Amino acid sequence: MRKKNIYTSAIKNLALLVVLGMVCGAMAQNAKTNYPKMAPVDQYLMADREAEIALARSAAPESIARDAEVLVLGRNGFETAVKGKNGFVCIVGRSWTSAADEDYWDPKVRVPMCVNAAAAHSYLLRITKITNLALAGRTLAQVNETMTTAIAKKEFPPMGPGSMCYMMSKQGFGGDSAPHWPSHLMFFFSDTDPAAWGANLPGSPVVGIADTSEHLTQFVIQTQRWSDGTDDLQAPPHVHP
Amino acid sequence: MREDKVGAIVINSFALLVVLGMAYQARSQDATTPYPKMAPVEQYLMERNVEIQLARSAAPDSISRSATILILGPQGYETAVQGTNGFVCMVGRAWGAAFDWDEFWNPKVKAADCLNPQAARSILPIFFLRARMVMAGRSKAEILSAVKAAFEKKQLPDLETGAMDYMMSKSAYLTDQGGHNLPHLMFYTRVKDGKDWGSGAAGAPVMSSPYWFFSPKEQPQMKGLPPILVFLVAVTNWSDGTPAGQHNE
Repeated sequence: MRKKNIYTSAIKNLALLVVLGMVCGAMAQNAKTNYPKMAPVDQYLMADREAEIALARSAAPESIARDAEVLVLGRNGFETAVKGKNGFVCIVGRSWTSAADEDYWDPKVRVPMCVNAAAAHSYLLRITKITNLALAGRTLAQVNETMTTAIAKKEFPPMGPGSMCYMMSKQGFGGDSAPHWPSHLMFFFSDTDPAAWGANLPGSPVVGIADTSEHLTQFVIQTQRWSDGTDDLQAPPHVHP
Repeated sequence: MREDKVGAIVINSFALLVVLGMAYQARSQDATTPYPKMAPVEQYLMERNVEIQLARSAAPDSISRSATILILGPQGYETAVQGTNGFVCMVGRAWGAAFDWDEFWNPKVKAADCLNPQAARSILPIFFLRARMVMAGRSKAEILSAVKAAFEKKQLPDLETGAMDYMMSKSAYLTDQGGHNLPHLMFYTRVKDGKDWGSGAAGAPVMSSPYWFFSPKEQPQMKGLPPILVFLVAVTNWSDGTPAGQHNE
């Protein structure tokens, strides 16, 4: 479900590392983490509320983000900072939802995303729940167990039809393992085989990860430009077998 | 929207998205139709091996080499190569697009597609019916009527979730407009409003178009047809791995 699940799966598939421009060496499954425990909560927060709003909005072109709801992270979880009117919701994801497992407690992680309405009513609910758990000090293993159980009990809805999000920010930080993601879109499905989209094959522009325990499939498609309209000059996606 | 506005759009960074037929809604309504009637059937046909090669070029080789390949024959689409991965590659013609597209009968359009299994099961049967009708010389109105009747009799399937289509061929000819081509993915959805994906917003890499008719004025003709909204997402490379921007213009 989370970005970190993509990383976790990516560890097992070098192709994904290449396609996402990541540094493979930093992604060894047993890599020693520099962040073994939770940092003081303040380090996960952004003192400048307006800066967090601006960073969240940078996930999508201004034409979308300016009318989006914006959530900012408080001590007890995400809270509404700006009411929106177009159904999109922009946030700055933190390490527990948006970085590799070994960076789970990295307080520097800031990953902007703008989810559409369908994803706001499905995918985002999981993001906010995980955030609440992490802020309460739950470890990665505890969060995974809690989420898997909750999803099995259908406490979270399946991915709504057409759920997707923009992740086109030039800014942000994805953690030591993958500091900067290329500009991309994400699409969310429940229980879909990535092969059905031709994902992860050589030359395919689609990266797909299925998390069976959380009944979630995420597809990533790189885009040519950042949200500000400038070219993303990172290596284009090209998957090596 | 006026043509000069369209021109302004075309010179911006998303010009190619606009020219792929998605611009119809923005065009002046009194534009003359460059292709008022069907061309001779032969103009829609291709040499068999050329068509197979073009169809395969819609997707990276890793996908298309195991795909079923269809070619257009005198009676419609027929299987040239039986595949194993559920994808189906073909060369779409202009008359497979929206009924009110002003290039509907353009014989130059050769749109290479590789449909995923969901699209192959739910979209391809529509293509088949339309192709059979066209090759039999039926009019646009007759084709539309036949499609509606087929849906009414449940001879055509419902759209499947996750239906999508690779259109990454460097050799395709998609429209007379602009550069004629753009590597992209298509998504067939039941989403009601393109804005739900940010379609058409300035700077967004997503465009959308209704499947059956571009123009809202044609909505009365939609009666009996299942709403399908098609999204287009531009990708960075052609199917052969070369960067977008290098094509066969």
